[in-house]
Amino acid sequence: MTGVHDATGVHDRLQALAAELAEVGERAGAPCLDPVNGAMIRNWTQALGDTGDWAEVAPPAMIQVWSMPGLVAQKGASAADEILRLLNESGYTGVVATNCEQTYDRYVKVGEQLRSTMRFGELVGPKKTAMGEGYFVTWYQSWYDENDQRVAEMLFRVLKFQPRKRSGAKSKGGPIKPAIGLDTAFYWDGAKEGELRIQCCADCGALRHPPGPMCPKCHSVKRDHVVASGRGEVHSYVVHHHPPVPGKTPPYVVAVIDLDEGVRVVGNVNGCAPEDVSIGMPVQVVFERVDDDLTLPQWIPADAPVEAPEAAAEEPPADLEIPLTPTFVIATALATRDFTPVHHDTELARAQGTKDIFLNILTSIGLVQRAALQAEPGAVLESISVRLGVPAYAGDTLRVHTERVDATTLKVRGAVSLGDHVTATVRIKESEPPVGGRPPTPPAAPEERLRRQGGAR
Amino acid sequence: MSLVGKTAIAGIGATEFSKESGRSELQLAAEACLDAIRDAGLKPSDVDGLVTFAADANAEIAVQRELGIPELRFFSRVEYGGGAACGTVAHAAMAVATGQADVVVCYRAFNERSGHRFGQANRSARVDSTGLEFSWHLPYGFATPAAWVAMQARRYMHEYGATSEDFGRVAVAMRRHAATNPKAWFHQRPITLAEHQESRWIVDPLHLLDCCQESDGGVAIVVTSVERARDLPNPPVVINAAAQGTGPDQMMMFSYYSGDLAALPAMGNVGRRLWEQSGLTPADVQTAILYDHFTPFVLIQLEELGFCGHGEARDFIKDGGIEIDGRLPVNPHGGQLGEAYIHGMNGIAEGVRQVRGTAVNQVRDVRNVLVTAGTGVPTSGLVLGVS
Repeated sequence: MTGVHDATGVHDRLQALAAELAEVGERAGAPCLDPVNGAMIRNWTQALGDTGDWAEVAPPAMIQVWSMPGLVAQKGASAADEILRLLNESGYTGVVATNCEQTYDRYVKVGEQLRSTMRFGELVGPKKTAMGEGYFVTWYQSWYDENDQRVAEMLFRVLKFQPRKRSGAKSKGGPIKPAIGLDTAFYWDGAKEGELRIQCCADCGALRHPPGPMCPKCHSVKRDHVVASGRGEVHSYVVHHHPPVPGKTPPYVVAVIDLDEGVRVVGNVNGCAPEDVSIGMPVQVVFERVDDDLTLPQWIPADAPVEAPEAAAEEPPADLEIPLTPTFVIATALATRDFTPVHHDTELARAQGTKDIFLNILTSIGLVQRAALQAEPGAVLESISVRLGVPAYAGDTLRVHTERVDATTLKVRGAVSLGDHVTATVRIKESEPPVGGRPPTPPAAPEERLRRQGGAR
Repeated sequence: MSLVGKTAIAGIGATEFSKESGRSELQLAAEACLDAIRDAGLKPSDVDGLVTFAADANAEIAVQRELGIPELRFFSRVEYGGGAACGTVAHAAMAVATGQADVVVCYRAFNERSGHRFGQANRSARVDSTGLEFSWHLPYGFATPAAWVAMQARRYMHEYGATSEDFGRVAVAMRRHAATNPKAWFHQRPITLAEHQESRWIVDPLHLLDCCQESDGGVAIVVTSVERARDLPNPPVVINAAAQGTGPDQMMMFSYYSGDLAALPAMGNVGRRLWEQSGLTPADVQTAILYDHFTPFVLIQLEELGFCGHGEARDFIKDGGIEIDGRLPVNPHGGQLGEAYIHGMNGIAEGVRQVRGTAVNQVRDVRNVLVTAGTGVPTSGLVLGVS
């Protein structure tokens, strides 16, 4: 659904509105209902598994929590609401948060009463993106102390996009199921057991694939099978692009494989790019379980690791590994005072088209802080800039890697099974003495595997 | 006993070729048959035999009813997709030569573009011998004719050094011919080799322009004895050879499991029969109608039929070798790449026009025409000639 009848008109109206909002400048933002307090800090550190010492100051990544409205029917307005509404009306109905950058002028102390302001940032677009054509909308929120001194600022950016018409190229459901008869069942049964079975005449021993009821050489109907070594080479292959085929996402490779045993079979060659497949390439069998009833013998390059051909195998061990239990996802959402149902109500989350409840952004930033301070104990953070990636769903595991770039910069990457969930740049203040976030006192939360990254400097 | 020279094609008929006929397949069949019967100077009541493809949706008795044919003495269906095309004429000729029937109409009619499209993913998975054959392939997303042909094309390229451009030259030739055929879908729309190369991948190594179009339409062919044909208005187009054939370890379109993928042994078999029956050689035909669902198989057919040696077709076709003014004009009507995809039956009609001397892109001094049916499947072929 694009629904944009007059693209130029819409663009002009968006630009005009953006200019208007920019003119308004800074205005009062969401109220901070409670002073900075130990109870909320404790809820937060317990939920996120942060073991730092935050007796006097609040964790910097908590800054937005102080102005979160809590469980209320009407959410506070953002500085970009009118633009977001106009984008919705113009067909840019999709939304995805892309960036969140927090800059900390100073850490806030327990007992301080904060106030927040907001201002519109900018509108950039239209841009072609992986999600579809869209506009990036940026706004800011700032926090001030009782003396009207700014303590922190946050940039928040979303992409509002026109959801692409489904091309139909994406596969739906599983592959086409084979018909299985009396003469072929042994093959599919074997695949389920992880065996590539080749029919063998019980009288003359001739091998045959595809199998059949009568040996074409000696006409015996007595059948047996051998289990193939699973090694072979590509005799010929194609790369399928079009049309869409159930259960497959193009481009994909189909090949005729010459087995070492002297018969040929057909299957997909996975585990390498289509352009890396060639005639004569050695391949080995792997078994792709489709469901309880069907397992497909498949092929990968012979030199590929059998078990985990994906990148996960090459990944160094994570510095922080967090099982995303439903409790973790819900407890952290509530501890950051984020009561959006997609973070705690599984049924509702699924009804909205997501796989499950997922981690909220305030928590993701908190975990970046946690990883950074684990790598640099006692450091004082100047800013955290987060680029948001795939959702971190309940049931997944978040693996966080920390890497030092220079004396004051860390890169933090949090990945889940779907890919990168956050990639962050954390900047450390240079000369200030530590005022909080002292080294964690081991042991850490028992369900987590913590590993200090040594010698990374 | 032989059918050679005893029977002739006396009439051809067709509907228009389109992308959306707007009428039922049975109506297309009835219209094409009536057109062919009238072209032959006959009436439906003269017809006593009907033959079609196993894949055709229109039962012989349904066509009989629409045409008001009083009774049939012979009816038959030929299997294996487009491989059936010349087989229908072979069955009709056998029936006429043996006295089982006097006038047999062969027909094929479908809404192959607006209705069921063969180019889409095949989902057949019945527990019969054919369904089991498909079952070794469909779960891997190996589910379209383009993909099945591409598998052989890749091996052919590997063995003989043929390139995508060699395949493209076939498409360029067919579109050149179609450009001057007012009945062709691609009338006045020739292509260049560069356009072929730039067309998108369907199944690498096949580009879009390596694949024939999809069409709605119907074609019918009237077969009777040479004697009777002599009394009819059109000059008889004599069936000098008619053959069907398979190869070793033949499968529907997946004969990959033994032997040479860079070959089409079923067509080799049919070719040998055709030359034997007709007593002719490749040098004796002035034009060939080669089934062109996908360009690579035109090259392999030229080799299997003996027009050149294995691996030599790319030299045979270069410099316009199969174009209207080349050494062997192939598909002067534009073939299925250019005119229409009527499962090979429109090619038989073109063979008849070339022998009659009435084609829009007429080859000079045509005495014998070779016609082939779909390849990769069990196939068939004809040699048609002047009487």
